[in-house]
Amino acid sequence: MSDLSSSVKLKYVKLGYQYLVNHFLTLLMIPIIATVGIELLRMGPQEILSVLSSLHFELLHILCSSFLIIFVSTVYFMSKPRTVYLVDYSCYKPPVTCRVPFSSFMEHSRLILKDNPKSVEFQMRILERSGLGEETCLPPAIHYIPPAPTMESARNEAQMVIFTAMEDLFKKTGLKPKDIDILIVNCSLFSPTPSLSAMIINKYKLRSNIKSFNLSGMGCSAGLISVDVARDLLQVHPNSNAVIISTEIITPNYYKGNERAMLLPNCLFRMGGAAVLLSNRRSDRWRAKYKLCHLVRTHQGADDKSYYCVMEEEDKEGNVGINLSKDLMTIAGEALKANITTIGPLVLPASEQLLFLSSLIGRKIFNPKWKPYIPDFKQAFEHFCIHAGGRAVIDELQKSLQLSGEHVEASRMTLHRFGNTSSSSLWYELSYIEAQGRMKRSDRVWQIAFGSGFKCNSAVWKCNRTIKTPTDGPWSDCIDRYPVFIPEVVKL
Amino acid sequence: MGRVQEEGSGPVHGFRLSTVSSSRPTETGTTHEPTGLDLAMKLHYIKVVYIYSAETARDLTVMSVKAPLFPVFDQISWITGRLRRHESGRPYIKCNDCGTRFVESHCDLTVDEWLRVPDRSVDESLVYHQPVGPDMAFSPLIYLQMTRFSCGGLALGLSWAHIMGDPLSLSHVFNLWARAFAGEKIYSHKTSELERVFQNPNSTGAKPESIKRVDPVGDLWVTPSNSKMTTFSFNLTVKDIKSKFPANGDDVFEILIGVIWKCIAKVRGGSDPVTITVIRPDPNGLKPRAVRNSQVISSVHVGFSVAEASLEEIVKSIGEASDERSKIDEIVDDVSDFIVYGANLTFVDLSEVDFYEAKVLGKSPESVYCNVQGIGDGGAVVVSPGVVVDERVATVTLPGDDIEKVKCEMDKCGLITVLVK
Repeated sequence: MSDLSSSVKLKYVKLGYQYLVNHFLTLLMIPIIATVGIELLRMGPQEILSVLSSLHFELLHILCSSFLIIFVSTVYFMSKPRTVYLVDYSCYKPPVTCRVPFSSFMEHSRLILKDNPKSVEFQMRILERSGLGEETCLPPAIHYIPPAPTMESARNEAQMVIFTAMEDLFKKTGLKPKDIDILIVNCSLFSPTPSLSAMIINKYKLRSNIKSFNLSGMGCSAGLISVDVARDLLQVHPNSNAVIISTEIITPNYYKGNERAMLLPNCLFRMGGAAVLLSNRRSDRWRAKYKLCHLVRTHQGADDKSYYCVMEEEDKEGNVGINLSKDLMTIAGEALKANITTIGPLVLPASEQLLFLSSLIGRKIFNPKWKPYIPDFKQAFEHFCIHAGGRAVIDELQKSLQLSGEHVEASRMTLHRFGNTSSSSLWYELSYIEAQGRMKRSDRVWQIAFGSGFKCNSAVWKCNRTIKTPTDGPWSDCIDRYPVFIPEVVKL
Repeated sequence: MGRVQEEGSGPVHGFRLSTVSSSRPTETGTTHEPTGLDLAMKLHYIKVVYIYSAETARDLTVMSVKAPLFPVFDQISWITGRLRRHESGRPYIKCNDCGTRFVESHCDLTVDEWLRVPDRSVDESLVYHQPVGPDMAFSPLIYLQMTRFSCGGLALGLSWAHIMGDPLSLSHVFNLWARAFAGEKIYSHKTSELERVFQNPNSTGAKPESIKRVDPVGDLWVTPSNSKMTTFSFNLTVKDIKSKFPANGDDVFEILIGVIWKCIAKVRGGSDPVTITVIRPDPNGLKPRAVRNSQVISSVHVGFSVAEASLEEIVKSIGEASDERSKIDEIVDDVSDFIVYGANLTFVDLSEVDFYEAKVLGKSPESVYCNVQGIGDGGAVVVSPGVVVDERVATVTLPGDDIEKVKCEMDKCGLITVLVK
């Protein structure tokens, strides 16, 4: 009982402290305004007028002051960065014919790797603990025994994913293909010539003066890198919009060998893609769903261990695959710390920053053994979208940021329903939150993505208008079943 | 002896395997328990080949054939499961959505060239067949082979584990596919325990003769056989049979049984078969259609020598056959292995099965071939419908040593008009 009452007291002390620090200026202004107000009332109107007339305002003074005010405000408004709005986005929902139940995946694995029962056993253990569900999808070429990846089937997958997502985006936003000013495509492991952005320009007959970019090789965090590029371009080009396509094409990258560390991506990566419309037009201010507040990119590539931890290489038999090192989680944790250090001051309320600063000073000056204070990011954001890279990533981040089950629910459920869709997973997660009816006006969302290199990128969005349910999107037919309990180990 | 489909040097080649499942996940832990009658059939597999003309099938892609299978498996998801064993050793099906194996292949001939061969048993190479086992948990129960002919025509060959259901069930599932292909919304009733047990009020206490215990086969479900079984097939018309063998009643199937039984008895000489098994659809016409083993299995035993007897006598004794399904259900235990087809000389009547209702773009198949894999040494004759109402196709599977002599006998009695070499 005393524990409960003391923890309640502590909670109120904390709340009191936060309120005091975060509204410090307001609290400071109140006595000042009160004093001034009382003074004015005491002085009475006659005295006020006499004080004003004694200031000897000359016409020149007035004109100069007004020009100064106008000049300063113009400079301020001109140099203010253009607000980037996220008008709407659309996530690709694969057809049911691409569904891969666990049992089919394991049966194929047994048939393809029949000379390596240990590798089959390994894949089964990974799948059991992966957090994936029975409805994730792989492209048609991978359904063959053995998988039949060709350039043509890879292009077909790209067309299927990208064109479907784009057409859905056009329908949702009323965007006409000829109105697209900037096109950015990110797909890490499939980079044909002509590029995927050229493929889109050809299909939809986009303008010849379009600014198109194709980012490849940048890993699962490339979605936010594309947003960064779009944001910078939208600062330079007034009254423009940008379409971002984030996807990962699975067909050419299915690992054909039997090296265990390289079989892991086969178990986790699934089909998916997203198309996003960003704009800096004032007219989109009303219909846009979100506003981009911050975007922070941190790159740990200078450190050798981080650089080598996700490596595409050939195995002993010459099969190309992605080798994931065992220190992946540690490196991810460090990358996250670097990112938080930069984004913290931008988003955290003053109370948390003060606490963090004092803890830092204390550790440096008084006692290095003090536990570092982890700022409470739950005060800065209402929603979290953690890249659904795998169960371990979500668990690690939940622990480091001290998030509750509900905060990471979007990530876990996206991993369950769609698997690891690489750079587009953040958009599926955002769509989940909207579909659950949790997105209200002024809610802040934090998207965090990790990628090879090793990078940690995060974006902060502010919800512009309350999103009403039911939403149309990849969750529309199954949101009633979610959230779903995901057991630690699924017995196959 | 299990005939495993292998890619040889024949006209059918270029096998590409993939898997087709259902669109909705089945709840974890769902199982399907086979009845005794189902388990009696476990060493047998049904093979049916539907051949569609080039005009009908030219524009069908692999995806357009695969896509309608998804709604069908949504309705009947347990047929995409895999076999496991309870602790008692009794097999059951774990409904884990593992799927059916889909095989794509090519044939160098055109549909017309293929159909020109009067002996339709060439269609056996259009069915990719693998027996269940040795890994039961990873053996599909259904294989579907899609063969593209050089003219653009298509053959769809199904290999179907008899433990799931009889040829009527297979036809029901394939017809659902055809309707889903045409864009119809399909529905299939869920089978309950009650609809799979068939009581016979007239049954005597005697043991069923239509089923035979065989040596244990373990997890590889292949009928043990002493001789290489050979198949040949021939066409006939109802009118022809009735005119050649008059005054034997109206039932063409019974007349056929009589004629063929007599031919085989003459060939076997001293050890002529006095017991045969007759398998026919349930006369009650069980509705609604579902996947189950519902065929009436009866045995006919005669006290006289069939080779010497008259056709009328034989046909009369066929009429006295009794339904042994409930006896079979009782005698089958969890672990023993049995065979039904070929335990004795077996005659299967599929002439009323609606195979030709599987219409693609409004057209029925050009040809439907039906046979059973895993027939015992007793041999079997499968009578299936022909393209036109009057036509029948008889597929005879016998030990290789007997087959030529049986063909001679059939030629002598006028059943097959041309001696097929």
